[in-house]
Amino acid sequence: MGVTSLSDIETKIEGAPEGVHVAPKTVDDVVRVLRWATESGTPVRVWGGGTRQKLGHPPTPGIVLSTGRLSDIEVWEPDDLTVVAGAGIGVDELESRLGEKSQTAVLPEHPGAATLGGVLATGRASLRRARLLGPRERVLEVTMVTGDGRVVRSGGRVVKNVSGFDLHRAAIGAFGSLGVIVQVCLKLWPVPRASATISNADPESVSRITRPLALLETNDAWQLFAWGTPTDIDEIVAKTEGEGRAGLHWPEDPRGSYRWLLRVPPGRTAEAALRVRPWRFLAIHGSGELRLASEDVEGATDLRGWAEDIGGSLVLVDHPGEDAPLDPWGSPPSTLDLQRRLIAEFDPARIVNPGRLPGGL
Amino acid sequence: MAAIAELRDLLGSDRVLDDPLERRLYSKDASLMRGDPVCVVFPGDAEQVSAIVRIAARHGLPVIPRGAGTGLTAGASPMTGGIVMSMTGMNTIEIDPDNQAAWVGPGVINLDLSKQARPYGLHFAPDPSSQSACTIGGNLANNSGGPHCLAEGSTTSHVLGLEFVTADGQIHEVGGLAPDQPGLDLRALLVGSEGTLGIATRILVRLLPIADDVRTLLLDFPSVEDAARTVSDVIAAGMVPAALEMMDQRMVMAVENWLGAGLPTDAAAVLLAEVVGSTATVESEASIIAEIGRSNHARNVVIAVESEDRELLWKGRKSAFGAIAQLAPDYYLHDTVVPRTRLVETMAGVYEIADRHDLTMLNVFHAGDGNLHPLIAFDSSDEDVARRVKLAGEEIVDLCLSVGGALSGEHGVGVEKRDLMPSSFSALDLDAQARIKDVFDPDHLLNPAKVLPQGSRCFDFGGVRREVPEGAWV
Repeated sequence: MGVTSLSDIETKIEGAPEGVHVAPKTVDDVVRVLRWATESGTPVRVWGGGTRQKLGHPPTPGIVLSTGRLSDIEVWEPDDLTVVAGAGIGVDELESRLGEKSQTAVLPEHPGAATLGGVLATGRASLRRARLLGPRERVLEVTMVTGDGRVVRSGGRVVKNVSGFDLHRAAIGAFGSLGVIVQVCLKLWPVPRASATISNADPESVSRITRPLALLETNDAWQLFAWGTPTDIDEIVAKTEGEGRAGLHWPEDPRGSYRWLLRVPPGRTAEAALRVRPWRFLAIHGSGELRLASEDVEGATDLRGWAEDIGGSLVLVDHPGEDAPLDPWGSPPSTLDLQRRLIAEFDPARIVNPGRLPGGL
Repeated sequence: MAAIAELRDLLGSDRVLDDPLERRLYSKDASLMRGDPVCVVFPGDAEQVSAIVRIAARHGLPVIPRGAGTGLTAGASPMTGGIVMSMTGMNTIEIDPDNQAAWVGPGVINLDLSKQARPYGLHFAPDPSSQSACTIGGNLANNSGGPHCLAEGSTTSHVLGLEFVTADGQIHEVGGLAPDQPGLDLRALLVGSEGTLGIATRILVRLLPIADDVRTLLLDFPSVEDAARTVSDVIAAGMVPAALEMMDQRMVMAVENWLGAGLPTDAAAVLLAEVVGSTATVESEASIIAEIGRSNHARNVVIAVESEDRELLWKGRKSAFGAIAQLAPDYYLHDTVVPRTRLVETMAGVYEIADRHDLTMLNVFHAGDGNLHPLIAFDSSDEDVARRVKLAGEEIVDLCLSVGGALSGEHGVGVEKRDLMPSSFSALDLDAQARIKDVFDPDHLLNPAKVLPQGSRCFDFGGVRREVPEGAWV
């Protein structure tokens, strides 16, 4: 391949499929890579921490683009509750820095190697989503590079803003199809002084706690998570008659070679948890999201049918083979044509993660 | 006119208005800009909206969707003529308590939704000051905020899905009760698009539980700086109250003179704070806020517990704009956002601008999220004053942008701020926005010439040109 023009940013990305691996150091480098890819019609896989590379229909890449070197925290204004960071910063690193001043970006609690850009591009949510909402609520401004190499910014570095269409929110979960996310301004939350993880609570009394930080159910436990003032926390622990432990001890996602995301209307979460009981699961009550692990592909087809019937979805997140044993997304969305035309404006040669989205977009 | 005859066939004569008086009534929103519509139509469902859009397209007439017309940026003013489509007849509410959500028509009045949800212990969080008149469709179009979006986010955080009609008359549905529908999130683009991408015909909104308990605090300060510092210190203490609102002395005097809510007219600034949660939570948070206020020289702290006392305090805040009528026949209300840390210096600059132009300015704003609402009371029949009002407005916007702010926090861009967009965005940023418009509405039929300045689409940006891929629609 004639990629000598990219040789200065060539690298080796651990675990990535074969192809030309590049790690841009600047936004201009990203522009250069994507323009080259568009001109040559070369598919590009964007690589953050590599934790969600099996999600969707992963393309066979010509280029693997790592955001790893775009990882600076450019501005952090604790009093404004905003931070501006490069897409390649690790979620763990970002959250631990923010934690130094008792703030959080409400990103996934056990991110592993995942990066900020990665969790946003793939739309990964926090376990606190029933209370603090999903990944789209985290971003105030996004700078991205479109497939044909334009640097586009949407939103602003303030907590409230209605100027222009919210392209930055549409970029969440778009897998780079509207642009490769290179820098993000996030809305932060202050972390209150006290918090607790409450186990073995009385389910009746738990239901009387209005809007807890999280109420999670796994195969063998219910846990209630609360934060607030110390008086607050004491009251909640007493009210639920459970065993309170100071701090937020988040459970890990269920482990397994096949991992799934089930989404249902929030009011059906308990029913969904009952239905998936033979599988390993983690249900986020009040949100409609359940994280699952199971090798039962046949069962998944039935589960997907049920989920889609009630307006939800079952997505295959990870699997051990090369090819997914069933369509990873399920039925394509009804607005496929609008989506296709929108993507064509941002990635006319369709080179960033081509085909990865539902409906083969 | 042939189009009007077709519209009458479709909707019946009583739902197509075209006499001069009626056209005049729908010729503007609450901004100062007026257009001249061909007619006003009142559809009853999505199919009718679709049919109207198709008729309009055939006759080359723009369609301007309109809620209650409370918008302040001429977003619903028919500046290009065309058909004003009033959505007020589409006002059904279906509450879904199990999922804490509701499907509503775009014409539902904001406050009516919360009233209907109340028996289920739920409410709709966005609460613009105009909530007793403005519609959910208008809220969706403008991504409206209100005092309580400090903790809960603006309308976009509360729209789970919608049915909408595009310029080709197609009816689409996006989002839904289940979170994170696979594929692109078109909902994110439609909310806040000011009726320029599609016309919402049904909206699925999130409802939140009504808090167990509430405390509303009124703190009065000898200086704006002390009040602003209190806002920052409250956030630094690890709290995001439900609301943190500020009124300056002139505004307090205007409101008090009108309403008699017992507000301290000798304070330089008053801060209205609200905390929600369990009784223990609100009591401890209220006492922490009071303590922070006192350490920043608050002269007096009132903590309202009973709902009538709290409502009186809020009435003072939410009636602020009505109170202006005592001062002058017109007002020009601005809406900009600055980073919270730049609040004090920006306020000083805003007062300086008003003084320099010899204008009467009052301030009431969402201090917690840095969303300023400088309000200039004036008489538009005096041309020189009107000219100075415009100049001062532009200077205020420049000032806010220069400290890292945004053009609009919750009122939208409309026509008012359309031509200021290039001061906030690069040519490529605006080109990207214009491409979105072209995908949804290639002939610029829906609320044209709003939000984006003319010429936003730059066809040569120095990038890579490619053949248009198969399936693309240009």
